[in-house]
Amino acid sequence: MDIKTKIRTFVVDNFMMGMNPEELADKDSLLDKGIVDSTGVLELVGFLEETFEIQIEDEELIPDNLDSVDKIAAYVNKKQS
Amino acid sequence: MLVHQFLETNAELHSHREALVHLDDRVTYIELERGANRLANFLIDSGLKPGDRIAILLDSSINYVISYFAVLKGGGIVVALNTATTSRIIKNILSDCTPSAIIVHKQYAHFLTDIIDDLESVETLVIDGHFERLERKKNLRIESYCEIQLNGDTKRPSINISSDDTASIIYTSGTTGNPKGVTLTHSNLRANTDSIVEYLSLTYEDKVMAILPFFYSYGNSLLLTHIRVGGCLVIDSRFAYPNVVLEIMSREKATGFSGVPSTFAILMHKSKIHDYPWNHLRYLSQAGGPMSPALTLKIMEAIPHVKIFVMYGQTEASARLSYLEPDRLLEKIGSIGKGIPGVTLTVKDDKGNICPVGETGEIIARGDNIMKGYWNQPEETARVLKPDGLHTGDLAKTDEDGYLYIVSRKSDMIKSGAHRISPKEIEEILAEHEDIIESAVIGVPDEIMGENIKAVIILKDKSNATQRDILKHCRINLPVFKIPKIVEFRENLPKTPSGKIKKHVLVSEHIQQKERG
Repeated sequence: MDIKTKIRTFVVDNFMMGMNPEELADKDSLLDKGIVDSTGVLELVGFLEETFEIQIEDEELIPDNLDSVDKIAAYVNKKQS
Repeated sequence: MLVHQFLETNAELHSHREALVHLDDRVTYIELERGANRLANFLIDSGLKPGDRIAILLDSSINYVISYFAVLKGGGIVVALNTATTSRIIKNILSDCTPSAIIVHKQYAHFLTDIIDDLESVETLVIDGHFERLERKKNLRIESYCEIQLNGDTKRPSINISSDDTASIIYTSGTTGNPKGVTLTHSNLRANTDSIVEYLSLTYEDKVMAILPFFYSYGNSLLLTHIRVGGCLVIDSRFAYPNVVLEIMSREKATGFSGVPSTFAILMHKSKIHDYPWNHLRYLSQAGGPMSPALTLKIMEAIPHVKIFVMYGQTEASARLSYLEPDRLLEKIGSIGKGIPGVTLTVKDDKGNICPVGETGEIIARGDNIMKGYWNQPEETARVLKPDGLHTGDLAKTDEDGYLYIVSRKSDMIKSGAHRISPKEIEEILAEHEDIIESAVIGVPDEIMGENIKAVIILKDKSNATQRDILKHCRINLPVFKIPKIVEFRENLPKTPSGKIKKHVLVSEHIQQKERG
């Protein structure tokens, strides 16, 4: 499974509460769509650190890095490179 | 004075001062009042009568505030709903309070799609944003919020209501799982607002960073106190990214910040709070559950010049019951202080006698801020509103100076983040799963959230259900903040001889397991 698919699967399985996964486009804001809240972000961070073996610093907890499947995938790619 | 007159007064006194800031939008008092008048006049034209309930399903935003005051200006009763919800919860609440109209953001309109036909009382729907997928039932008037704001009448409506009339119903999770509508009058809200303004010394120069949702009583009190004094609210619901909020708070030169314990835990552990000087910040206020003394001390150390108000309250008290003066915080750490101005708090034993110093009893509250009762629930009302005051269900003791210390809560409600969650409600959902025989839902300690939800479950023989199956069932039927974080399967549950589940044993066992690692 590629990075984006893994992230998408995690988001759909953990935050979408029986919603139709097709309602989430990869570019959609997770916050604006009401998919994550503050605990959700912390869970997401835990998942990313564990799955992709990266360390996420406090100052990196910003929407530019984490607020859509596309942004998370780009951020993980950057961290791993 | 009526609650919407807070706004009307300041639209005259401070007409061009900023009342609200939300993302890139800023509105002055006069603009805010005109917006509220437009919507109020529309609602009145649509048939709103004094005492009608109007549901609001919007996130904290400028449009939320306009809607809130519009309903009051029209003589209506605000029923602001939690937007982290399900169609089932909304149907349950709206069937109870039978609103004549709903004001909903397009993002949440899908919750209404399947239930709108069953909500017979609803005659008008105002949608903020474009939403097509709502079948127009017979006699339902659907109007665009934007259209109303473009073409509405800005004249202040004149409606005859009194301060003893109901202004708001705030639904809280009941211990039985059924939501209870806390019914608050204009006079309840005014008393609490004025008292909070007094002890926080709020003025029109104050600007609060408002991250708490306005549909909860704590957030509602932030809204009302700042509109009361002609101050400003910087609304931002993006606390999921604390650094974004801190940046806005710094840019806007906020003088106040209010949160629940988990807010401060996140700020201390997951943010750049230490990178700012906070020259403009005057105070922090904390309510919504006990905050550990260790965390309080950490905040004091991080921003020593800022006053910290530890507070305690209940929705049934319009929000606030007590506060601890910042200059006694170190001396009385762990205390929730004393009654706020106008509120008397006493600690009584089961027989109604005032407990001596150091002895544990229930907190009983009296004051003009205490609710009228629970909507449509006279028995539940009588259970907590007694001749000596509001029986809070919280157990506390006092010290020799009269300061209160919470010992425990009588009910088994779980407090996670800013939410108060009924275990019973989750157990009822779990009971609907075909593989579950019985479950016990408990709150277990969590460093950030205060408590996390844990479900301890007994499965039917030969069931192959997994944790994932259980969580999926929860996700379909519960809002995200009520989904258990931990699921444990067991063969049996510890019970008393009468068959009651000993939840405290489950909590202790969980803590021991954690300690053993």
